[in-house]
Amino acid sequence: MLFFREWGKKAVPKPIRRLIGLLGLLTIVSMVTFGAMNFLGDPLFNILGPVAADVDNPESLKAIEEAKAQYHLDKSLPERWARWAWDFVRGDFGVQFSSSGQPPVSDLIKERLPRTLELMAVAQIIAVSLAIPWSVLAASRANRRTDKISTITAFAFVSIPSFAMAVILFYFFSVQWDLLPDTYTATDPFWGISHDHRLIQLILPGFTLGIGSAAAYQRLLRTDLITTLQQDFILMAKSKGVSKRRVLYSHALRPSLFSMITLLAINIGFMIGGSLVVEQFFRIPGIGSAVVEATLREDFPVVLAIVMIVSAGFMVFNYLADYLYTLIDPRVRNEDTSKPRKITSMGM
Amino acid sequence: MLHETDSADNILELSDYRVGFRTERGLAKAVDGVSLSLKRGSTLAIVGESGSGKTVLNRGIMGLLGANIIEGGSAKFQGEELVNTNRQKFWGTKMAMIFQDPMTSLNPVMKVGNQVSEPLRLHQGMSRKEARDRTVELFTLVGIPEPAKRFGEYPHQLSGGMRQRVMISIALAIEPDILIADEPTTSLDVTVQKYILDLLVDVQSKSNMSMVIITHDLGVARGRADEIMVMYGGRIMEKAPSETVFQEMKHPYTQALLSSIPRLNDPKHTRLTPIEGFPPDIVDGPQGCKFAARCKYAQDTCLTLTPEETTIDTHTYFCHFPVGTDAGSEALKSNEDKGFTAAGLRIKSKGEVV
Amino acid sequence: MNEEQEINADEVTNDSQASEEETNISDSAQLEVSEFADKKTLGFGFWLATFWLVLISFLAVFSPILPFKDADKNYIAYEQKENPLTGKVQERPVQPPYAPSGEHWLGTDQDARDILSRTVEGARISLAVGALTALFGMIVGGTLGMIAGYFKGILDKIVGAIFLVVLSFPGLILAILIVALLDRSLLTISVTLGILGVAPIGRLARAQTLSFSEREFVMAAETLGAKKSRILIKELLPNVLIPMSTLAMLVIAVAIVGEGTLAFLGLSVQNSATWGKLILTGSGLSTLESSPWVAFVPMGFLFLTVASFNYLSDRIRDYFDVRDIFVTRD
Repeated sequence: MLFFREWGKKAVPKPIRRLIGLLGLLTIVSMVTFGAMNFLGDPLFNILGPVAADVDNPESLKAIEEAKAQYHLDKSLPERWARWAWDFVRGDFGVQFSSSGQPPVSDLIKERLPRTLELMAVAQIIAVSLAIPWSVLAASRANRRTDKISTITAFAFVSIPSFAMAVILFYFFSVQWDLLPDTYTATDPFWGISHDHRLIQLILPGFTLGIGSAAAYQRLLRTDLITTLQQDFILMAKSKGVSKRRVLYSHALRPSLFSMITLLAINIGFMIGGSLVVEQFFRIPGIGSAVVEATLREDFPVVLAIVMIVSAGFMVFNYLADYLYTLIDPRVRNEDTSKPRKITSMGM
Repeated sequence: MLHETDSADNILELSDYRVGFRTERGLAKAVDGVSLSLKRGSTLAIVGESGSGKTVLNRGIMGLLGANIIEGGSAKFQGEELVNTNRQKFWGTKMAMIFQDPMTSLNPVMKVGNQVSEPLRLHQGMSRKEARDRTVELFTLVGIPEPAKRFGEYPHQLSGGMRQRVMISIALAIEPDILIADEPTTSLDVTVQKYILDLLVDVQSKSNMSMVIITHDLGVARGRADEIMVMYGGRIMEKAPSETVFQEMKHPYTQALLSSIPRLNDPKHTRLTPIEGFPPDIVDGPQGCKFAARCKYAQDTCLTLTPEETTIDTHTYFCHFPVGTDAGSEALKSNEDKGFTAAGLRIKSKGEVV
Repeated sequence: MNEEQEINADEVTNDSQASEEETNISDSAQLEVSEFADKKTLGFGFWLATFWLVLISFLAVFSPILPFKDADKNYIAYEQKENPLTGKVQERPVQPPYAPSGEHWLGTDQDARDILSRTVEGARISLAVGALTALFGMIVGGTLGMIAGYFKGILDKIVGAIFLVVLSFPGLILAILIVALLDRSLLTISVTLGILGVAPIGRLARAQTLSFSEREFVMAAETLGAKKSRILIKELLPNVLIPMSTLAMLVIAVAIVGEGTLAFLGLSVQNSATWGKLILTGSGLSTLESSPWVAFVPMGFLFLTVASFNYLSDRIRDYFDVRDIFVTRD
């Protein structure tokens, strides 16, 4: 046994091993979810509705039997899981139990996933665009009033939950000042600046999602910037006559971004599942709202598929984040890239 | 109290220049009254231990010390007063500085070529291409092999010697009127040292650039510097043309420095003669001469009275009992006889300090 | 002290104000001492936050006996109004929600229920959820973590695997799943959120245990022949508790937010007011337009509480200089 382990370690480089581990994890997640849903809920009820309980009626019974056969509900739990898993990895996500006509789940995903991705992209762009100037400002006036105020602000924003943020922003920008639209229509065109374009419609929800991230990024970036600014090469840049602004943005920023970028990667992964509330509130038909609806309707295939997508996304981005260093830090690029680097605050 | 030269010829003139830091315990007088003149085109070597104030002096002149300092006295650059002004307009144009450790002074995530071409594009209005060409030229000049390839590399990909050469290229690119080099060769090995120093001198002679070299190594100063200034405790101990310092040194500290250098042709197992003791506290420092606590010649006067300036021709020193004078020799002998100095430093006979 | 103050006061004008405007970039000499001083005292904010938490807990616990209005009663006010049809003056109900007034200090909601009382009621549930979640997380996570960290070997690997699985789940989705499928009781919600908290707490406990168990006092106890369980409880637990408490506070904050989120999706505790529910009630377009306090009052309470927990956690961590590794889930 030990031999195989050692051989395995040598034959398969670490990143690949981690990948395999993640796959294993995903499998376990699917098993747990599958088990939870079947254990705690009743698929039959979802497919057939009240008919499922109507065991006295011979017609209902027939329908029940048919459903059982069609969906293999008579087989054991492990077997059902195995069937599901086999279909899943081949791209067949099953059908939506609770929608009439039972369209394939993949249709739903295809429709909804891009909406969520749009929202996420807008949110992160807003977050980064806010965080960078905010951090630069705070770091360049470290420990003075501007900095203290921005630290408190960042802290406050991190403490506001997304649904509260949604209400607050909605109140000010939509209700009071009527600056931004209050509905999202998936069929509207994307690019454009009127209220009838998705880009504008996504500003409010994007901001809601993004401001929390922005605050988190700011806290990291500010600290790293302050550390960087004490390095000799900053003094060197000054002595070359480089202006303050240029020193901050062209010299100090790059080496300080690493922690923030790592968090960004992790956040993206997290946000796929975390955009739920915002999607619900602003009525954006993304996979977040889809999973909420599906859970309430006990539509298992949909829930399973989305859980898998979200978990996989989360894991992938976490995994990438660990190796991000090797891509963006020139010091590491040329070295041994098979070891994931520890995330230190500066990597210097 | 300066040289008998025409002021217009002096690129740098310091008069009782002072730099202090505010600390919890009080005012730290890092530079405690330094006066000097630097002639255009000449080289001054500032020699001293860590804590002597040499780095603060130089960064102070440049104006790179940050906002928590107090500056006093006068420092004139090309006739213009620098003290308490913002010197940004000189940086990268007329004044340039080489820092001690090239690994930490170069931006680790920026290509070295861009770090050199930056001042060219900012101050000399060159285009990207022009700056790049000039940078490659400079790399060749300083002896960096495969200069075009090196342009796109990062500091960690170069050796220590090459990094220092990059630093020098930056200085050369700026073509300053005055270059301040803070320990430019300390982190290099001996052969590279020689090359770098020769290079600097070469450039200097061609462009009439003035240079201040900070070093703790007298050997580096010799032969490369026109004038040597020895600093201790934030003050000048001795200042003279370099050969004079070596042959006719007057200050006991200079003498001690010289004798602490191991020489190649010393017999085997010769004991090293370090200078006993520690640098003085710059907040709550001693009265009188700053070096008295560690000086073999120390007398009571040294402990209470600050030595005044003595200038003979081009040689300036601050000592009550200078080396080689009657007063000095008597002082030393009396200390040797007693077995210790007025400051309590023990002395064995034959000038060896316990 | 040193009479030879040679720096002439007249010449010294390096006014830090002036330099601030000119050179704003911090230099190595410039890290003010105050930055380090901050970490050594607990500070004004700390006590402010503690005060708030004590206050809100007090209100929550003792609300039944405190003179608040009934949280479920509809306090419809009446006024004399002229009936447009008959011209007669009648008593007609005034349309709620009512703005804050002497009668209702924080106003009422659309069903004329007093907001202050409801918010205090909400505090009871929300804080209860927070506390139970943290308790569950600490007990289960802490125990698992300490076992893993102390006994190491295969136990460590098993526990590690469990943590990993829990961490890989999209938390919110899992919570929604369980609550939707089971029931919506206080216990279920707390335990669900607690499960999610087990992993970070457990990891921390494990890390702390690992580092502490290498220290001398543990080895000393072992050589003296103390039983492992005794060591765990008497030596390690007290040390592990402090960093765990800071994390626990964060967990409470996250749990309160989690409950709020669930409530916002319609999945919170049945038949009771919680902050999330109250905020939801007040978030309709028309309500926000006409009577924003319905949403903002509970939101304010929520924010203050969550921020206080977050802040306390930060402060204590700085004060005790705890270095911990845990997964941040903002």
